Amino acid sequence: MIQNRAQGRIILFITIIIAMILVIVPIPDSLRLFRPEWVLMTLLYWAMALPERVGIGFAWVVGLLMDMMLGGTLGILAFSYALVTYLVLNFHLQLRQYPLWQQALIVMSLVLLVNIIKVMLSPAVASWYVWAPAVVSTLIWPIVYAVLRKIRRVFGVS
Amino acid sequence: MDSRFNYFAPVRTTLATVLYPIQVVAALPSDLSHWAGDFFQNREQLKTRNNQLETMQMLNSMRLQKLQALERENMRLRELLGSSFRLTERVLVAELLTINLDPSFQQVVVNKGKRDGIFIGQPALDASGVMGQVSEVYPYSSRIILLTDPSHAIPVQVNRNGLRAVAIGRGLGMPLQLEHLPHNIDIREGDLLVTSGLGGRFPVGYPVGTVKYVHFPEGRAFAEIAVEPAAHLSTSRELLLVLPIESFENSDGEEPEVTVEPTNDSE
Repeated sequence: MIQNRAQGRIILFITIIIAMILVIVPIPDSLRLFRPEWVLMTLLYWAMALPERVGIGFAWVVGLLMDMMLGGTLGILAFSYALVTYLVLNFHLQLRQYPLWQQALIVMSLVLLVNIIKVMLSPAVASWYVWAPAVVSTLIWPIVYAVLRKIRRVFGVS
Repeated sequence: MDSRFNYFAPVRTTLATVLYPIQVVAALPSDLSHWAGDFFQNREQLKTRNNQLETMQMLNSMRLQKLQALERENMRLRELLGSSFRLTERVLVAELLTINLDPSFQQVVVNKGKRDGIFIGQPALDASGVMGQVSEVYPYSSRIILLTDPSHAIPVQVNRNGLRAVAIGRGLGMPLQLEHLPHNIDIREGDLLVTSGLGGRFPVGYPVGTVKYVHFPEGRAFAEIAVEPAAHLSTSRELLLVLPIESFENSDGEEPEVTVEPTNDSE
């Protein structure tokens, strides 16, 4: 049982690290604004599936790492990831029951929330492209959901 | 807190060191594709490329001969005027980690850090112009803020007539903007802008960009001037970090910089 828990934690960290790599992997400049929020989606999935494992503290640490990774002010993403995770933890029982498209819309609003917080707190200029990652993340959510569920079932993370 | 004060520098340094392996892994695919591209070049391509480079080298060394004579002459004249002037700078070649950061900032990460003597504010150039300056230094890597970042400004002068201005970045894929120049200014499309050396950060005379368009909007106090950066900001893989000579002679760096404006418009 203890070994199982440890293995679950390792799987969780590995998925987050892979998501981080996906966030900074180079893509053409014109597509950069449309990059989906891989880390946030992974975090949301785990918060929804394993609320007793992924807490606000974990989300905060991941957010802090992302702040550093992307070169922003420390704490902006940490705060917004923690906030979003709090919302998901509060409603995780409802969210699990929703059909996938409805979940995707919830994800859209959460990603948008994170982006709005980021734009409000940093010197970046706000414009229409605040929407871009939210919309792309929504479209990709079913895939992320399916892949992460497969990982969770295969490795028996609980 | 973090953006105003410097209390969290050790935290940032630690986090950056932790994250460095992830960044290196993320840069691997494009590194590999470059390596494969190098590996599978055939002999003909290499030969033509070699020829091109030899021709270029010949032209450049010819220009350099002349430049050396001019440099000496310039030094002599400046000695006559009694002003000090730095001529040569040493550079350090750093390689870009090909990863994308937040698109709302214009920053890149390079694989040289504190171990290699990088310091904050160090100018970064590529083969064709100024790229930006070092904004944060970590043990193994450092972060460079590009000319096009919205929070970056660089003092420039027009190469043709020595007119001074400040070029401000405006974000991803946008040209630089020259701020606060009145309507009667003598500036044209195609003018080359070089660093003026005012402010003491950037060495004098490196190309920053060319003027893309000049527009005088009715009813506004200042002209709208867009500048296309000379450096290949999105395609350069190596960049040169300039080491000023002062940092070796007196390492405390407290002494105010003496940079003489090449134009003598005060006389």
